[in-house]
Amino acid sequence: MADKKLILLVDDDPDFVEAVRVIVENGGYEVEVAYDGQEGLEAVAERKPDLIVLDVMMPVMNGHEACAKLKGSEETADIPIILLTAVADRVTTSTYTHRDMLESEAEDYMPKPVEPGELLERIQSWVS
Amino acid sequence: MDALRVLIIDDEKVIRDGVERSLAGKNYQIAKAESGEVGIEMIEQNGYDVVLLDLMMPGIDGFGVLDWIKEHRPQIEVIVITGFATVSKAVTAMKQGAFDFVGKPFTPDYIRIVVKRAVEKISLETEARSLREERILSMEAIQNEQSLLKTVFGCMVEAVLITDPESVVVHHNPAAIKMLDIQTDPVIGKPLSVSINDMAAVQMVREAIADNRVVTREFAPGTVSRRYLRAHCAPVISSTSDGDKVLGSVTTFEDVSTHKEIDKMKSEFVAMVAHELKSPLASIEQMIYALQINCKYEEANNCNRLHGRMTVRTKDLLRLIENLLNLSKLESGTVVFNLERTNGHEIIKDILEVAGPQAEAKEISVHFNPCAEDWWFNVDYDHMRTAIMNVVSNAVKYTPEGGDIRITTSVSGGFVNLVFQDSGIGIPKDDLPHIFDRFYRVKGKATRHITGSGLGLSLVKEVVEAHQGYIDVRSDPENGTTFMLSFPIVEMAGSVA
Repeated sequence: MADKKLILLVDDDPDFVEAVRVIVENGGYEVEVAYDGQEGLEAVAERKPDLIVLDVMMPVMNGHEACAKLKGSEETADIPIILLTAVADRVTTSTYTHRDMLESEAEDYMPKPVEPGELLERIQSWVS
Repeated sequence: MDALRVLIIDDEKVIRDGVERSLAGKNYQIAKAESGEVGIEMIEQNGYDVVLLDLMMPGIDGFGVLDWIKEHRPQIEVIVITGFATVSKAVTAMKQGAFDFVGKPFTPDYIRIVVKRAVEKISLETEARSLREERILSMEAIQNEQSLLKTVFGCMVEAVLITDPESVVVHHNPAAIKMLDIQTDPVIGKPLSVSINDMAAVQMVREAIADNRVVTREFAPGTVSRRYLRAHCAPVISSTSDGDKVLGSVTTFEDVSTHKEIDKMKSEFVAMVAHELKSPLASIEQMIYALQINCKYEEANNCNRLHGRMTVRTKDLLRLIENLLNLSKLESGTVVFNLERTNGHEIIKDILEVAGPQAEAKEISVHFNPCAEDWWFNVDYDHMRTAIMNVVSNAVKYTPEGGDIRITTSVSGGFVNLVFQDSGIGIPKDDLPHIFDRFYRVKGKATRHITGSGLGLSLVKEVVEAHQGYIDVRSDPENGTTFMLSFPIVEMAGSVA
C-alpha cells in the first residue's frame, strides 16, 4: 500500500506518542513521530505529512508556536493540524480550550487522552 | 431613710428634756449629754447628724465644742441654743459654722422647725455629694474610654479613618498614614477626596453615609495604596426621637496582600499538582486505548511492552503522590524527626548497596572515597536515607551508560561535607536555579526518557535543612553534576589506621 497517508505525531511524552502511534497505525496510516515543536518542524521539512497531531504543552517549542510557524509558511500552511489540549485545562476551565481554538489557526482540537474511534474519524475527515 | 441621730448637749437637764420632748414622735434617735466633754466623747464614739448645743456651759463651752465639731466632724450640722440676751454670741457661733440658733426660752414647734431645716440641708447635701461623685466617676469613665480607644486606634494594624457626614476627615490612626498613601498633611479637617486620590474610596464613604449601610470593597494595589486592601465602611448612627441620623463614617482598611499572594500561590500550586497528576494519567489512559486495539491486531510482545510501561507510569504516579504528601508534611512541620546518633559512612554504604544494581545495570562505576575518620551525625535515619538515596539515584538516572559516580566525604570545622559527583549530562545553566522547585524538571532531548516527579530534590532540600544542613550544586554539561551536602557532626573518631 504505497499511498498510505502520513500522520505526524508531536508530543513530549514518549508513552503517549507510542500509544497514539499504535492507534493511528492500526487505522491504516503511516506514522512519523517527534517529541517537541522544533523536532516537529524538522520532521515536516524532511517529509511533508498529510496531517499533524500536535500537543500544546511541550518543552523547547510548544504546540501553539509550532502551529503558528507551520501556518505562517506557504509550503506548510495547508497541512491540517489537530491540536491536543492540555489535560488539566479541559477540566478546570472550558474557556481555555476555546481560547486554544480561537488563538491558533489549527483546523481542529481534541482534549487528551484521545478516544481512538474519535481520533481516527477526525483524521479521516481531514485527510480525505 | 434611717432615723436621724440627734445629740443634745446642755448642762441644764430641763433644757435637755424639753428639747427631747419637742422632738419626740418624729423619726429621730435622740441622745443627750450634760457637758461639752461628754458630748465630744459621744460624738467621737457614735457620730451624729445633728447636734443641739448650748453655748454657755461650764468646762468646755459651746464654742469649744463647735470648734471641735467643725474641725473633726464637719458634716454634722450644729444648732446652738442660747438665751435672748446673748444673740450676738449666737451670731458669732453661726460665723463659726453653726447652722442655726434657738433662743431660750423656745417653743417645741420652733425646735422642730429648726431641726427639720437642718435635716433637709443634710439630705440635700447628701444628694449633691452623690451627684458630684457620680459626675466624677462618669468623667473618669469617659476619660478611660477615650484613652482606651486612643490606644486601640494606635495599636491597630488596620487603618482607621473617621469622617463627618460631609466626608471630611475628623480622625485617623497612625496605621492610616502608613497604609494609605495619604496626600495631605494634616489630613484632619479636609475632605477625604483631598487626602485620598482614589474616587472609588471616596465613593464608598459617600455611599455608606447616604444609604446608611456598611459598604465593603477591595482595592487592588495601585489604587489607594501599593498594597492590596479590603475596606469596610460603616455609617455612624445616632438614634433620636426624630429617627436615625448619620453622624459620619468609620472606615477600616485591612492589608490583605499576603492573603492574596498566598491565595494565588495556592491556586497555582493546585493547578500545577492537577497537571502533574493528570498528564501521566492521560498517557496511561491512552496506553489502555492503544492496548485494546493493539491486542486485537498485533502479537503479544507489543502488548507486554505497553503493559510494562503502564505499570511503570502508574508506579511513578503513586510515588509522586507519596512524595507530595511527604513534602507537604515536612513543610507544615508536622513531621516528627526521631534524631539518633548515626554513623555517616555506614548510612552511605547502606544506600550504595541498594543503588548498586541500578548503577550496574547501566554499567556505571561507583567510587566511594570516605575520609580516614569515622564521623557521626544526629539524624532521622529514614528521612536522611531517603534524601541521600534521592541524590544518588539522580546521579545514576542522569549519567549515561558507562559513566562513573564519585562520592567523597571530608570533615572540617564541625561539619561533614558529602560530595556526589557524576559524569552525567549536567544541568543547563538556565535550569540550575530552579532544580529545587517543586515539579521542576529539566526538559529536553536528553531527559525525555528519564522519568521523575520533579519533587525529589525539593524533598532532599527540606530534609537537609531540617537537619541544619546545607545543599549546593555545581553543574555543566561537559563535566556532569556535583551535589554537595554538609551537616553538623556530633562526634568524630580518631584516625583509623
